[in-house]
Amino acid sequence: MPKLNIPPPHGGELVYRVIEKRDYAESMAAGAIEFDLKPTTLPDGTPIRHVYREIMSVCYGFFSPVEGSMTSADLEGVLKERRLENGWVFPYPILLDVSDEDLKAMDVKEGDRLLLKLKGQPFAVMDVEEIYKINPEEVATRTFGTPEDNPEVVREPFNEKHPGYMIYKMMNSNVIAGKWTIINPPKFREPYDRFWLPPAECRTVIKYVKKWRTCIAHQTRNVPHTGHEALMKNAAYTGDIEPCHGILVNAIIGAKRRGDYPNEAILEGHEAVNKYGYIKPSRHMVTFTLWDMRYGNPIESLLHGIIRQNMGCTHHMFGRDHAAVGEYYDKYATQILWSKGIPSFGFEAPPNEVEKGLKIIPQNMAEFWYCPVCGEIAYSENCGHVDKKQKFSGSFLRGMVAEGVMPPKVVMRPEVYKAIVKWWKVFNYPFVNKKYLENLNANLEVDLEPMEIPKA
Amino acid sequence: MVHYIGVILDESRYEQIKGTPIEEKVQSIFGGALKMLVVEVPEDKSEQILKAFDRARIDSRGFIEDVPVAFRRAVFEEIVKNKSLDIIDKVLERLPEIQELAKKEDEYIPPPEIE
Ligand SMILES: [Zn+2]
Repeated sequence: MPKLNIPPPHGGELVYRVIEKRDYAESMAAGAIEFDLKPTTLPDGTPIRHVYREIMSVCYGFFSPVEGSMTSADLEGVLKERRLENGWVFPYPILLDVSDEDLKAMDVKEGDRLLLKLKGQPFAVMDVEEIYKINPEEVATRTFGTPEDNPEVVREPFNEKHPGYMIYKMMNSNVIAGKWTIINPPKFREPYDRFWLPPAECRTVIKYVKKWRTCIAHQTRNVPHTGHEALMKNAAYTGDIEPCHGILVNAIIGAKRRGDYPNEAILEGHEAVNKYGYIKPSRHMVTFTLWDMRYGNPIESLLHGIIRQNMGCTHHMFGRDHAAVGEYYDKYATQILWSKGIPSFGFEAPPNEVEKGLKIIPQNMAEFWYCPVCGEIAYSENCGHVDKKQKFSGSFLRGMVAEGVMPPKVVMRPEVYKAIVKWWKVFNYPFVNKKYLENLNANLEVDLEPMEIPKA
Repeated sequence: MVHYIGVILDESRYEQIKGTPIEEKVQSIFGGALKMLVVEVPEDKSEQILKAFDRARIDSRGFIEDVPVAFRRAVFEEIVKNKSLDIIDKVLERLPEIQELAKKEDEYIPPPEIE
């Protein structure tokens, strides 16, 4: 096997649409039509998505080659076969949707420049390429698939209980398409700032600081237990002539649901894994991407592959029920996609074997459990004591944490637990509750400096 | 299908069932690092529990999880009181009271004292 190297960014070139220099930024925004970005909400007002996270991920290159809110041609390509108009694979619609009232108030037309404001401050600009209508429910249904159209992996019709489906269903029916440029780069609050490593910088760190030739990505939205740790360590034995040099943990940070762990505990919990030597920091690094998780299992895995390829990973580990909620998809839908493809979603072959597909290599992993006979955390394809298995369960651990019982170290590292307790003391609660949500939804993960825009 | 509720036994809880017929039902998991009791819950009753608590769910092991702490406490209390694991009906009788307590715990759970 030839030695591997950091793959090129998806689409060939890393997108970077961020202007730090104030005078250029101001001149770009001068005279633009202002629009305050708003969250997408459920009918009861609960925020489930904020488009600012997509603007950040696009402009800093996590979603390369996507450069902004999609045109109707891009949208149709994505819904029909998970391809942009230029042919590159991309799984999800990325859209700036606005209500009829807002559209009317803005009086915007194609060719105009918009100034997008966040938390009352200038944030990004966009040149309007197209304004068009969508049927949000149709976009939602086609994004995730149906049992009839996608019989390979869709098991149940998507409905109001699916958080990702609701993100699209609750969108406004007007889309403003155009490329985004950030003109007032937001500052991440502690502890997010420590883990913010956009693709260009991440590639540089991997190449010149960590000196990893190969690197496997680990997707997370959870505080790690030792089952996750075993997955990371063992998946990393793949590589080329030797195991992967690095493990890149990339947390998805976005809209939260009650009962989740706080973002802060997730990031610092993973950091504890390297800080306390369970996987040395020379081999393990924690980062995040802003994205309101769509829970699209195979569809989500495509986005994960794109993000981590852009960040410089050679491999990506995929487990059972990857980025899943409920029973909408086959438990192995992601692994089916990455081992043989899903034709109805536009993949006659795996996403890394199609034209204009990904370059990242999948590592499909089965399960880890504790086996009392083996006396260790065992891999399901090794351990023959199936009837004795003791499965790791995130919710079982959450129950233990809530009762104030310190999980045994064979299940969760004490330093990881301490990260949970640290933020528990800050929020007076170990998990996301109403107050945490109100606070996150009002303040987001960032602050923006005041910026005066000269009148045209 | 039968579902389960796992009751974790820390030292003080273990003391309360020591010497009772329940002691022999204690399961040791994760290489002896954790002791627990497992209560069986018939499907119609697990439905009732899922309905009573909006975040409750059945995990991949068939255990009812993400239930309020007040509910878990009540399960343990009934086990001690009745010296039996066949107590789910007794717990369900207390549902209104447990739901009241659960509301309070939505906003505050005291953090453990660790350094
Ligand atoms: Zn075994």
